[in-house]
Formats: sequence, structure tokens, C-alpha cells
Amino acid sequence: MKLLLLIPLFFAQTTFGLTEAEFQKLHRELQPNPKVTWRTIPWKTSVLDAQAAAAREGKPIFIWAMDGHPLGCT
Amino acid sequence: MLDRESTFADPAIVKLLQTRFIPVAIDQAYQRRQKDNEGKFYQKIANQSPRKVGRGTTQGLYTADASGKLLAFTNNRSPERVQRMIQTALTKHQPVKVAPLAKGTPDARFNPEPPKGGLVVRVTSKVLGGYEEPENEFRRIFQQSLGRDNLWISANEHAALAKGQLPQNLLKRIARFHLVDNTRGEPSMWNDNEIKKLEGTLRNGQLRTTVQLKTAKGDRSYEAELLGHLETKKGKVTRFDVVAKGHFRGEGTYTRNAPKGRFPLAIAFTLADGKDAADTIPPQGSRGWLPGYMR
Repeated sequence: MKLLLLIPLFFAQTTFGLTEAEFQKLHRELQPNPKVTWRTIPWKTSVLDAQAAAAREGKPIFIWAMDGHPLGCT
Repeated sequence: MLDRESTFADPAIVKLLQTRFIPVAIDQAYQRRQKDNEGKFYQKIANQSPRKVGRGTTQGLYTADASGKLLAFTNNRSPERVQRMIQTALTKHQPVKVAPLAKGTPDARFNPEPPKGGLVVRVTSKVLGGYEEPENEFRRIFQQSLGRDNLWISANEHAALAKGQLPQNLLKRIARFHLVDNTRGEPSMWNDNEIKKLEGTLRNGQLRTTVQLKTAKGDRSYEAELLGHLETKKGKVTRFDVVAKGHFRGEGTYTRNAPKGRFPLAIAFTLADGKDAADTIPPQGSRGWLPGYMR
């Protein structure tokens, strides 16, 4: 009985059709995929942290410098 | 956006960056201006490239040794060019004996910290339709991309949310700085006077908001509804899952090639757990003026 009462609520539409079901679907679909290739690169976010690691490990630094943060909006 | 799906999707480049380099990603608008050790080290590297600090953007891909000596630079994004640049760097690189540089006192203007006692919320956006058939692979990447930013919530706002209240300032911050189309680059934010309607309620943990945003010229607008669920435990917000869905129109200087006319845009919010490096990035809207963002 409770379930039957909840069904209309689940499909209740707003002006833009944002139902509870669509909320769930969109929220799931808009999560970044952690397995996408560029995310497998161990990016640091500070050049001094990178310098310290480079000094310690004897490796060169690779800097991805953008307008807007590359891990964010760019 | 483009780099993620082209340059940094190339298996050879990814493998080299994972194993032979220390990779770092930065918004150079901060580092090229910072008057602290972080800024000085970056500026030293950038000034050895064709880019020069003080002449606008220093955007690009740089490789350097631990002393800050530039090994190679490119601002070309083709995987072939980047592979060549990486190989040049590896050929030139000689490990140098240098100590890690001290962090010193950070330039407060460019090192905003998430509010103590507040919340960091991941914000992602996606255009749900309306694009024409892409004319090339680069356009396809932009059309399918997911925008990413962080929303910062102050301690006071966090406390209010935990009590079941919806602070108007928070609602306004969400509208002005996060209901934007950042799927193709740095978005234009909304001014106060471009908020035409903003009504929200938080009842029994359910958030509902209606928003209308429009520029004076009418060339950019977003009409949307937000639906979300908040949960709290012991005076702290433990869930902040919200979705905005509506019709967007227009584009910004750095977000060209939007779909024509009105198109569906969805934006999702969820609490950051700190496991993603991007969780540490300040909100795009706070760049240059954190108080203006947080007010």
C-alpha cells in the first residue's frame, strides 16, 4: 500500500520534467568516470610538490598549464 | 577538455607520464601571478620558453628538471607533437642533485583554502542534446564532455543546512557561479542583476529550486529547476545530492560552439570525498576574488 502511494510521487513532473526517477538517472550519469584514461595519470596540483618528487626520484617534471584548471573546467 | 580526450588518452603518452615523469596540472593564471616560492619556480620555467610571464597567458605543456631548467615546451595538442616533446625532454634530462624547495609563505591571494567547517561539493555539467553532427573529432569531444568544478559552502551555511535551513546566499552562489555551461571551456558567470528568479525550499531533506537567469542583452539564459536530497548526521551534512535541469541558451567567450537556440543542460552536485585530485581545486568563480564568491 505504501509503495502504491509513493508511485505518483516518483513520477511527479516539474516544469522541466525533473522527476525523482530522472534526478536519480542524471545524478548517476553526470558522475566522472574514475577509470577514464587521463585520470590514471597521477597528477599533482602544486609545482613545488612536483619539484620535491622530481628531486627525490630523479625524474623530470611534466607541467600541464592551462587557463582554468585542467582537472576542472578547461 | 580536449587534452583529456586526445593528448592524455594516448596510451604511449600516458605510460610515459605514469612511469618517467612527475606530472602536475595547474591553472597557470594563479602560478604566473603568485609572489611566493610556488609562483617563482613556475615562472622560472615559463620564462625559458617562448611564453614569458607578464605577456598574458603562459598556457602550454612544459618539461623541466628538478632545478627548474626547461627541457622542452609545446603548446600543440596533437599526440604526435607531444610525444616528440616528451622524447626530447627524456633525451636532454640529466638527474640533478637539488633539495626540495621550501614552500615558504604562500601568496594568500592565490592560495584560497576551503572554508574550515564548511563543505566542498563536486559540480559536474553536461549538455544533454541539441548539437549538430560534429564536423571533426575535436568537436565531438567537446559535445560529449563533462564540465567539472567545486562549490564551496561556508561553516555558517553548513550549520544552517544541517538545521534544515536553506541560506539565500548559498542559493545565490549556486545560481551565479555553478549554473553555467562549462562543458567547452571557462564559462561566463552570472551577475547579480542577471538573476531574474530564484526561489528555493528545503523541506524534510528535499531541496527544490526554480531559477531564471538572463543577460540584459538576452544572448545567454538558463531556466532550470533543481531537485535534491540532503541528509545530516550529528549536525553535519552527509549527503548533498542535487540535480539542475533546464534550458540553456547562448555561449561565452571561451565556450564557443554551443548548440543553436535553447538546449538542455543538466548540472549535478555531490559531496566531495577528497579522493579526486580535482577536489582540492578552488571554485572557478572564486578566481581572483574569493570574498566575492563566498559573500
